[in-house]
Amino acid sequence: MITKSNLYRKEKIYGFLFILPPLLGLLIFTLYPMIYSIYGSFTDWDGLGGMSFIGLSNFKDLWTDELFHKALFNTLFMMLGIPIGIVLALLLALGLNRGVPGTTAFRVIYYVPVISSLAAVSIMWNWAYNGDYGLVNQFLDLFGITGPNWMANKFTVKPALIIMAVWKGVGYTMLLYLAALQSVSRSYYEAAELDGANGFKAFWHITWPMVRPVTFFIIVTNIIGGSQIFTEMNIMTPTGGPEYASASVVFYIWQKAFGNFQMGYASAMAVVLGVFIFVVTLIQFRMNEKQSFDVD
Amino acid sequence: MLKKKGWLTSMSLVLAASVVLAGCGGNNNASSNDTAATNAGNTAKKEASSDSKETKNLTFMFRGGTDEQKAYEGVVKQFEADHPNVKVKIIVTAADQYATKLKASITGNSVPDVFYFESGDLKAYVNSGVLLDLTSYIEGNSNINLDNIWKYGVDLYRYDGTMAGQGNIYGMPKDVGPFALGYNKTMFEAAGVPLPDKDKPYTWDEFIKVAKQLTIDKDGDGKLDQFGAGFNVNWTLQSFVWSNGADWIDPTKTKVTIDDPKFAEALQFFADMQNKYGITPSTEQAQTLDTYQRWMKGEMAFFPVGPWDMSTYEKLPFDYDLIPYPAGSTGKSATWTGSLGIGASAKTKNPEEAVELINYLTASKEGMDALVKAKVQIPNLIDMATEWAADTTTKPANKEEFLQIVEDYGRVLPGHYTYNAEWYNLFFTDIQPVIDGKVTAAEYVKSEQPKMQKLLDKANEQEAKSKK
Repeated sequence: MITKSNLYRKEKIYGFLFILPPLLGLLIFTLYPMIYSIYGSFTDWDGLGGMSFIGLSNFKDLWTDELFHKALFNTLFMMLGIPIGIVLALLLALGLNRGVPGTTAFRVIYYVPVISSLAAVSIMWNWAYNGDYGLVNQFLDLFGITGPNWMANKFTVKPALIIMAVWKGVGYTMLLYLAALQSVSRSYYEAAELDGANGFKAFWHITWPMVRPVTFFIIVTNIIGGSQIFTEMNIMTPTGGPEYASASVVFYIWQKAFGNFQMGYASAMAVVLGVFIFVVTLIQFRMNEKQSFDVD
Repeated sequence: MLKKKGWLTSMSLVLAASVVLAGCGGNNNASSNDTAATNAGNTAKKEASSDSKETKNLTFMFRGGTDEQKAYEGVVKQFEADHPNVKVKIIVTAADQYATKLKASITGNSVPDVFYFESGDLKAYVNSGVLLDLTSYIEGNSNINLDNIWKYGVDLYRYDGTMAGQGNIYGMPKDVGPFALGYNKTMFEAAGVPLPDKDKPYTWDEFIKVAKQLTIDKDGDGKLDQFGAGFNVNWTLQSFVWSNGADWIDPTKTKVTIDDPKFAEALQFFADMQNKYGITPSTEQAQTLDTYQRWMKGEMAFFPVGPWDMSTYEKLPFDYDLIPYPAGSTGKSATWTGSLGIGASAKTKNPEEAVELINYLTASKEGMDALVKAKVQIPNLIDMATEWAADTTTKPANKEEFLQIVEDYGRVLPGHYTYNAEWYNLFFTDIQPVIDGKVTAAEYVKSEQPKMQKLLDKANEQEAKSKK
C-alpha cells in the first residue's frame, strides 16, 4: 500500500511538471494580460503613464461611439463569408471525394492560399482590386462589366474583403471536410441506395449529419477568428476604408491604443469583444449539445 | 483524497506566486530604472570626466525603407568607428509596425536609448516622462550649431509644457520633408505649353487652364491617356486649404474651423478638379497608386514630389522639375513639411552618448554627408543644403524649391499640435463622398465639424489629464 502510494505520488509530480510549462505560459502570457486589460478597461490609461480609475465611463462612451458601432457592424457583416466558405468548401470536398483525376493536384492548388502569408495575400489582392487596372476588373471587363473601384467604395470594400477571406480559407475547410467525408462508412450509402434514396437524399440524411462535428468546429473557429480580423484591413485600407467601411473592431482597438493614446478605452472595447466571443461560443456549444447524437 | 487536494492547492499557490513574482519583476525593473535615471546625471558626469575606456551600450530603434535602412546603418557604423567605446545595437522595423513596437516598449519599460518618434506624439511622450530633455546637452555641445539647422525642424520638437513649438528641446529632426509640387517638363515641351514659372505660383484658374491643355487623348481611341493632375486628398488638400486662407484648427488649438466658407471653397475646388474640370484620371479613381504609376509612366502633368522620391525619380523616362503649388485667394503658395524626430529615453544610462549619437545622425557633417549621398533626404545643415541646392545639374534642377518650403511656406500638418490626431484623421475617413461629387463641400464641412470637435475636445481633455 505504501509503495503504491509512493509511486502514485511520484507519477503525480511528474505529471504536474509536464503540464507546468504550458500552464505557466497560459498564466503569464494570457491570463495575466487579460486580467490586466480588464482592470485597464476601468481606467483612463494612456498606455504610457499612470492609470486612474474612472469606473464604467469607458463603457458608457462605447454605447454612443459611432465608429465603434460601425466597426462592430463591419466585423459582423464580414462574417457572412463563413457560410459562403462552408458551402464552397463542402462542394469542393464532395467533388474531390469522387476521385476525379488530378485530385491531389487540386488539393494542393486549393491549399496554397492557406499556407501563404496573410500580409502577402493582402498586398496581392490589393493589386487585384485596383480600380484602374486590377485583375478583377480586367476579368469583369471581358464580360463587358465595368467593375467598381473596390477598395475606395464603401459598398464594395466589405464584399471585396469577404471574397478574399473565402479564397484564403476555403482550402483549409475543404481539407477538413474531405477527411470527414472519407471516414463516413460506405455501408450507409449502400443501405440508402437499397431503400431507393436519391443522391440528394443520401447527402441530406447521411453526409450532412455525419460531417456535423466538423461543421460545428469550423463555425466556432471561424467566428472566433472572424471577430479578430485585423491584418487584412490594416494592409489594404490603412485608414479604415472609405467612411470607415472596412474597419473591424480589432482595427479600431489598435488605432485607439497605439495611435491615439487611449489604452484604457481600447481595453474596454477588447473586453466587450471578448465577452461577445465567449457568449456566442457558449450558445453554439449549447446548441450543438442538443442536436448531437452518438454514432459509435 | 486529502493528499490530492493538498497537491492541487500547493501547485496553484506556486503558480499564483509565480504570477505575482512576474508582476513584481516588472516593477522591480521599473524602479531600478528610475533610480538609474536619477543617478544618470551624476554617473554621466563622472564617466565623462574620468574618460573610462569601458564599453557603453546604446540601443537605437528606427524605421525606413530599404535604401534608408542601409544608409542609416552605414552612418551608425561610422559613428561606432569614431567612438570606439560606444556600441550601438540597432533595432529596425517596417514602417507600419514602428509605432506599435515603440509604444509596447514604453509600456513594457524597455524604451530604446535612442529612437524615432512622430512630432505629433511629442506632448504625450514628454508629459509621461518618456523623452529626455536634450536642451542642456545640445546647448552645451560646441559641435552643434543650432543656427545652422532648420529652425522649422528643431522647433517641432520644442515643448514648454503647454504649447509645442517653443521651450525646451526633446528631440532633433531626423530630417525635414518638404512636400513640393513637380511637373513633367518633357510633356509641357511636347504639347507646346509654356513652362510654369518657378517663382510665381499659378492661380487656381491658371492651373486648371494649363491642366486642361495637357489632359488629352493621345492615341485617339476615345479614352483619355494623359492627365493634368491626380492628387491624393490626404496629402494635397492642405495646400489648397491653406493657400485659400483657411485651416483645420484655430490658433488656440481648441476649435475645429473647417466650417469656414473659405475652407469649403478650397475643398470644393479640390473635388471639382475631378468632377467638374475633368483633369484627373476618372471620377471614380483617386487612389494614389494609380496616379503615382501614371506619373512614373509620364501620363501626368503635375504630381507631388518629396525629397524621399528623388532616388526613385532619377530613373524617370522624362525630365521633371519643382514649382510652387497653385495659390488660392491669399495669392501665396502653401504646403506641408513633414519631419520625424530622434529622441533619447529619459531613462537611458548613457545620456551623453545617446545625445552624441543623435547629434551624429542629425547635426554632424559626417553623418549628413552620408545620408544626403544616399539620396534619402535633404541636408539638415543649412550651409550644406544651400550648396546642395545650388547644384542644378542633378534632377530636379529647382531643388531650391525644397529649401523655400522649409524656410518659408511649409507648415506642419494640423494634427501635430494636439495630443492626438484622431479628430484630424476623421476628416479624411469620411471624405470619399465629397471627392466622388455626391456631397458638396459646404454640406460636408457642416456635418463633419461637430464630430471632429468632439474628438478634439476629448484629445484636449486627455492632454490636461496627462499633465497631472
